[in-house]
Amino acid sequence: MKLGYTIIYVKNVPETVAFYETAFGLTQRFMHESTLYAEMETGDTVLSFSAEEVIELDGLAFAPNEKSAIPAGWEICFITEDVKAAFETAVAAGCAPVSKPHGVPWGQTISYVRDLNGCLVEIATPMNLGT
Amino acid sequence: MRLPDGYQERIYTPQQARSVEAVWRHEEPQAGRSLILPDGRCDVIVRYNADRAVVPRLVVTGPATQSYWVTFEAGDRWIGVRLRPERGGVLWGEDIGVAQDQVALGEAAATRVPELARVCVVGAREEALRQALVRFVEGRALPPEGHRVGESLRRIHLAGGRFSVSELAARAGCSTRHLNRMFGGTVGLSVKVYGSLVQFHRALRLVCDAGGSLSDAAFEAGYADQAHMTRAMRRFGGFVPSDIPEGLIRPDVSGGLWGGRAT
Repeated sequence: MKLGYTIIYVKNVPETVAFYETAFGLTQRFMHESTLYAEMETGDTVLSFSAEEVIELDGLAFAPNEKSAIPAGWEICFITEDVKAAFETAVAAGCAPVSKPHGVPWGQTISYVRDLNGCLVEIATPMNLGT
Repeated sequence: MRLPDGYQERIYTPQQARSVEAVWRHEEPQAGRSLILPDGRCDVIVRYNADRAVVPRLVVTGPATQSYWVTFEAGDRWIGVRLRPERGGVLWGEDIGVAQDQVALGEAAATRVPELARVCVVGAREEALRQALVRFVEGRALPPEGHRVGESLRRIHLAGGRFSVSELAARAGCSTRHLNRMFGGTVGLSVKVYGSLVQFHRALRLVCDAGGSLSDAAFEAGYADQAHMTRAMRRFGGFVPSDIPEGLIRPDVSGGLWGGRAT
C-alpha cells in the first residue's frame, strides 16, 4: 500500500487552487474541465481538491470545512527551510494565523495557519530524524 | 444509485436551471405496481400511455415523507419535473405549508398549474410535454426566501442528514424557530423531517451498496443504533432494512448539487 492522494473537499476548486498557488507557492498540475477536481504539483503524493458537491454520489458525508467552524482533526504540513518567510507569505495571502513560527525541543521550527476554507495547515522545517 | 429499466433522469445544476432539479421519465411495459420513496421534493408530472388515444393526466405532488405504491397499466408512461427542495412554492404557492404528502390530480392539479392542463390533450408528444413542464417551472416567479434556505439544504446534504438544528440555524444567522418557518414556507417540511429524509436515503444506500452489516450501516448513517435505522426505514420506506423491496427506484436526491450527468 502506498499513500497516493490527499484530497480536500472544498466549496470552490478553482478559488482554492489559486489560493494555494499564492499562499503556499504550489502550482496546479491538473484541472478537470468541470472545475470540480484539481491536482497540485506535489510530487508522488498528490494534494488535490474536489468539489464538495460530488460526495453524495458516492454515499459519503462529512462535516464541511469552513472558516467559522472548528477545524477537522488533521492537517496538511508543508516543509521549507524558511518557515518565517513562508508563514508571512501565507498570512499576507489571506491565511488566518494560528501559531507563529517557533522552535520546538526536537529542533524543528513550526507554525500553523488556517487556509481559505478553514483547513489547518502547518508550515515547518524538515524533521531531523537523526540519521 | 439503483434505477430499474425504463427509468431515466437528467439532473440540472443550479447554473442550468433555477427551480428544476431533474427531469425524469419512466415507462412500464407490463401492468404492475411500484413503490415510490419520499424525497421531500415536489414534482409536477404528466402521466400518459404508449396508446396515444389515452388522455394524459396531470399530477402535482407536495413534499412526500411517506412511501406509496403506484399501480399502472401496460404502456403507462410518466414524464416529470422534480423541483429543487426550496422551490416547492413554485407549484403550491402559499399552500406549500400544508402540501406535505398531498397529491393533486385532475381538477385540483389543473388549478395549480393551469398552463400545463392545456397541453394534456390526446396525442400529445413527449417532447412537447417535457418542454412545457420545464418552461412552466422555470417561468414561474421564485418564491421568497428560497435562496436563504438553499445554503442550509446544502449543509444538510453534505452532512448526510447528520446535523444539529440549532447549529444550522446559527450558521444561517437566525433562530431555530425562524429557520423552521422558512423551511415550512419553501420546502414545506420542517428542518428535522427534511434532514431525516436525507439520512434515510443515505442509510438505504449504505445498506444496499456499502458492503457491511446492518449495524455498520446504521452507525455510519448516524443512527444511535440499528433499531433507530429500522424505525426510520419503516417510517419513510414502509419496509425494514433486512427486507428491502426488489427493484426499488432510488433516484439521485443529492439536491441537484452535482450536474453534468445526463443519464
